Amino acid sequence: MASAQNTSKSDAKSAAAETKPDDVTVAKSAAALEEDDEFEDFPVDDWAPEETEAANGTEATQHLWEESWDDDDTTDDFSTQLKEELKKVDASKKR
Amino acid sequence: MSLVVQFLGNIRSFVLAQNGDELRNWLLVENNVSDIYFKLARELMSSFPKNNTDALEKLVDKCLPEEDDVQEGKGSPWPGFNSFIKDYLEYWRDIEFGNTVKVHARLSDLLISCANALANPTYGIMLLQTSMSLSESLSKLVMSLVRQPDLLSQIQSGATGDDAGEKKSIVELAADIIQKIFTSCLADRSSGRFQAPQGKKVAVYLFANLTLKLLFACEKSRLAVQMFTNLSTSGPALSLYPASQRVTFLYYLGRFNFDHGDYLRAHLCFEQAYLQCPPRFQKHRRQILTYWIPANLLLGRFPSAPFLARPEAAGFAAIFYPLCGVVRSGDFLNFHLALNLNRDWLWDRGLYLPLLYRLKPLIWRSFTRKTFLLTWQASGGAASANNRAPSLALADVVTTACYVQKLMEGYVPANKSSSMMPPPPKRTPHINSIFMKAITNNAAPKQLMPSEGLIFGNKMPDLQSIEGVVAGLVYAGLLNGFVARQQKRFAIEGTKRHGGNPVRAGWPNAYQSIMERFRESYEEGLAAYNAAESGEVPGEMGDVPGWVRDVGMGF
Repeated sequence: MASAQNTSKSDAKSAAAETKPDDVTVAKSAAALEEDDEFEDFPVDDWAPEETEAANGTEATQHLWEESWDDDDTTDDFSTQLKEELKKVDASKKR
Repeated sequence: MSLVVQFLGNIRSFVLAQNGDELRNWLLVENNVSDIYFKLARELMSSFPKNNTDALEKLVDKCLPEEDDVQEGKGSPWPGFNSFIKDYLEYWRDIEFGNTVKVHARLSDLLISCANALANPTYGIMLLQTSMSLSESLSKLVMSLVRQPDLLSQIQSGATGDDAGEKKSIVELAADIIQKIFTSCLADRSSGRFQAPQGKKVAVYLFANLTLKLLFACEKSRLAVQMFTNLSTSGPALSLYPASQRVTFLYYLGRFNFDHGDYLRAHLCFEQAYLQCPPRFQKHRRQILTYWIPANLLLGRFPSAPFLARPEAAGFAAIFYPLCGVVRSGDFLNFHLALNLNRDWLWDRGLYLPLLYRLKPLIWRSFTRKTFLLTWQASGGAASANNRAPSLALADVVTTACYVQKLMEGYVPANKSSSMMPPPPKRTPHINSIFMKAITNNAAPKQLMPSEGLIFGNKMPDLQSIEGVVAGLVYAGLLNGFVARQQKRFAIEGTKRHGGNPVRAGWPNAYQSIMERFRESYEEGLAAYNAAESGEVPGEMGDVPGWVRDVGMGF
């Protein structure tokens, strides 16, 4: 399970990093297509529990969420900028 | 025989047979009906004009006499029913479908009349289906009126509330009528709270869902409070009702809690709504996910990649991953960008403002964590851990925060080589670089909205504001330690317990910390209740007001 989580975490991370304005435009158009935002009436009144994920008990939600997502990377561009600023301010204090 | 008499004759036969389905099929109110209803209307206009109401009343009573000796399983007209039927005939006599304002008034009155008839403890139940059908028609009409401001203002100017001077909106008035029917169903004593529903109780969640649909469509969800309170007090267990009603109810209860900032309760409702909804209802599952994912973001959990790869989540990765990315890296600069990429979509669903304001603590958590990682490493990190307790200088957070604030205001670092900026031109000997730096950085700062900026608009972060932010994060449980005011540092606690890792000790898992805070808050409430032995019984931690659970059923 740990490896599955790690895989999904890195996938998520790379997906987040790779999101470009073009991708977002696609998402925007997809979202715009959803004109009807109403929670419609179901076409049937009832269904068997076996048809649902709830039948799998607590396992059903195990892989849906990432709880450990902290980023220890301090080599990315944003971190580098902050590091430089800290150095600069520190140096000016010592002067 | 006149059409009116024939119509009443058929109605009588349905009443005697207690055939609620046929009553609903005959007592139609919308204009998409067969011509016979319009013939009936013309006959009523000519035979029973407005100034001759008594004659119509007499005819109804004559055609629908109260039965003296009613056999087991049979029904009989009752005064409330006859009054409703008279109102129904008057509705058709007076209706002008082109005049929506008038239709609204007549339909509202008719539904009130139907609700009164439904309240009859013996025979009222046969009007359950008709009540539902009329309620649906009124809801539909109100929802369409809300989108027509000119018509709405005509109605609003004539509507008054119970108290003098108090005006209720048409949404509120319609919801009041439907809730009256809901209350009538709730009060039915044919079955207990945890027994298979009987009598009018079978329709409790149908009417609850109809009311909720109306309130949410008109953005008046706060009006649902009374209904949830009534359900908590005397409502039947949700598990006893068909799956479609359970899922719909939990979806709206989740939305209600989301709108009121209770993201844990919202999550609990959405989780069950989603899990109880089969994959074949993809559109319903998508609607649930639209709110379930943001609720979890605000609780410190991200949707996993396999989750967002499900068909009902199509397109959501592009909306939510950029947000996850900025929360993860503490990147305030790209936070607004990530939100604004899908601003309209988020705004239309009431998600923009909660995410804008409620994600900030999580971004601050990552931002202070990043600052610590940079400064702790620079100062020797683990090597010096034995000599002094790990801590974060608040002045360092001021430095990093001021830098980000300046970037947000449009400041362009002269030596910047970021992927966000175009590469700087090659240095040419005849340009005075100091002069260029001066003019670049002296540009007037961009005016930020109050919600933009790290603290408040263009306010530059200082020691005092950063101390406030850090203290707030400690109080929320997102940071583990304390603010040492003399030293102007955030002192991390529990490093040894975390294997000497100050980052893990000072910045515990966000989701688990938030859950821990909920648990503490619940236990405080429990302790206060036990000490005072009065007030509201706290119940279980996962209880959601309005959601009546049956432990035996497991749902």
